[in-house]
Amino acid sequence: MRPAYVWAVFVKEWRDLLSNRLLLGAVALPAIVFAAIPTGLVAFIQVNDLDPNQLGQIQQYIANFPGLPAKLAAQGFIVTNFMAYFLLIPAMVPMAIASQSVIGEKVARSLEPQLATPLEVPELLAGKTIAAALPAVVATWGVFVAYGLVNGAIADPRLTRLVFSDQWLVAMASLVPLICLFSVLLGIIVSSRVNDARTAQQIGGFVVIPIIAIAVAQFFGGQATFTMQQVLIGNLMVASLIGLALIVGSWAFDRETIITRLG
Amino acid sequence: MIVVEGLRKDFGRVTAVHDVSFSVGDGEIFGLLGPNGAGKTTTVRLLAGLIAPSAGSATVNGHPLGEGSQRIRALTGILTESPGLHDKLTARQNLAFYGRLYGLRGAELGRAVERYLGVVEMLPFADRRVGGFSKGMRQKIAIARALLHEPEVIYLDEPTSGLDPAAAKTVRDFVDTLRSLGRSIVICTHNLDEAERLCDRIAIMRGRLLRVDTPAGLRRHGRAATVRIELNGAGGAESFVGMLASMPSVLAAQPLSGSLVVELADPARETPDLVAALVEAGARITGVREESATLEEVYLSLVGEVGERDLRLAAVREPSVPEVAS
Repeated sequence: MRPAYVWAVFVKEWRDLLSNRLLLGAVALPAIVFAAIPTGLVAFIQVNDLDPNQLGQIQQYIANFPGLPAKLAAQGFIVTNFMAYFLLIPAMVPMAIASQSVIGEKVARSLEPQLATPLEVPELLAGKTIAAALPAVVATWGVFVAYGLVNGAIADPRLTRLVFSDQWLVAMASLVPLICLFSVLLGIIVSSRVNDARTAQQIGGFVVIPIIAIAVAQFFGGQATFTMQQVLIGNLMVASLIGLALIVGSWAFDRETIITRLG
Repeated sequence: MIVVEGLRKDFGRVTAVHDVSFSVGDGEIFGLLGPNGAGKTTTVRLLAGLIAPSAGSATVNGHPLGEGSQRIRALTGILTESPGLHDKLTARQNLAFYGRLYGLRGAELGRAVERYLGVVEMLPFADRRVGGFSKGMRQKIAIARALLHEPEVIYLDEPTSGLDPAAAKTVRDFVDTLRSLGRSIVICTHNLDEAERLCDRIAIMRGRLLRVDTPAGLRRHGRAATVRIELNGAGGAESFVGMLASMPSVLAAQPLSGSLVVELADPARETPDLVAALVEAGARITGVREESATLEEVYLSLVGEVGERDLRLAAVREPSVPEVAS
């Protein structure tokens, strides 16, 4: 794989992406929403100086933070429990970008001229994948850092340490890029079979279901956030799914299939 | 130089291109004519190294299809059926992107982009997004893209499609210039007039090659050329038939309504001698013209369009006639 060719595709994809305000909004909005809700709750508790006894169901989860005062433990639970939803950003955003990109190329019939150059299919896909995954990785990392710092500033620096825990640092470094990669591959594979970006996103949308299920199960199971073991198992599972997607993708995206069916 | 031998391409059970053999020399414009689905685009895709043949072989400037496909793509410029541009990018950005994919970098890339934007007269629109361009403007940018890296072999699929007459002439003139620079050029077109004007040789295909010849050769359709000589004075034509029959270049001669109809093997070379001999024999010639079928007539008869159309009409008139697959 030649970096200059991957770079050329990446730059073209970025120019395309930056000119698409709707898509940029789709990148920014989930990141802001997933961070704003728990931060708003933490601020609400802080400003109103609420008694944890008034916080209903959350009270029973305070036991997760034995060393913290009840109010801070409640805030800690909110802050860490919502972090599972951060994984929705790498699951949703790259798929939206990748499917928009591939279907855009299908509609414009611009894949054939690209493949008529010395560009190889893996270089094309690598450029597209990096361009689709990078905004989500950067957005997730940016929100993660801001989330930790802002919540620490609102309530207590100990919240920052809860956010920047070992398991979440590992999750940000490994699980987030892996989910991004899987999401891009899924977006590309689905887009190769349909002709409308919205349909592609709807079909590929099932990827968010396991993440939402995990977040909800975590809440009702009384677990504040992931353990390191769960993060590592998650890495392994997503890596396996990527392997599967690569096999399907190499079949769906060989040069001849692109030329004769996607052009 | 393109050399094609027994090329075949199957898509599942369907054979799109069947046993195609031809060659295109340096500085030659070779036309591919045929109805929709005749295999023209598939042939070009095969030769451009975009898809692999099912059988047969071809070399492009000495590089074989298959292991040499990446090199073939590097020395090939292709104007695809659809311009396939990136609407959100400007004309300059589109060309710069493709220039990079063809290995151009830095100042060389900038010069090539400027040059070809100028060649297709699109410099004033260089920094506008392609999404707002008309069909003709997009076609011009696609042509510039195909030529940006100075390819040795060029495939042009309907090069003047969507262009106004002036722009179409500019493109034709430029293709002519490329020929004079020694490039091998293959043009796929439905425009028979354009094919006749531009191409040195034309292949008519429908899955397989039906005929390959010069435009003049195709018009004769494998028969000897006929030259009609109009004479002043009725009844005189018969008196020259005997004289003409004795000339070695004349294959056959007969009088027809006061004219002489003469069959020659090579009318371009032999007609002046024929006319000179007739004048010397006392003929008063008022007109000489080569009679041949039009390229359209030859094309339609070769691809069987006329026959099929007649059959379809018959099927409409007479329900008992089995349906003809189109």
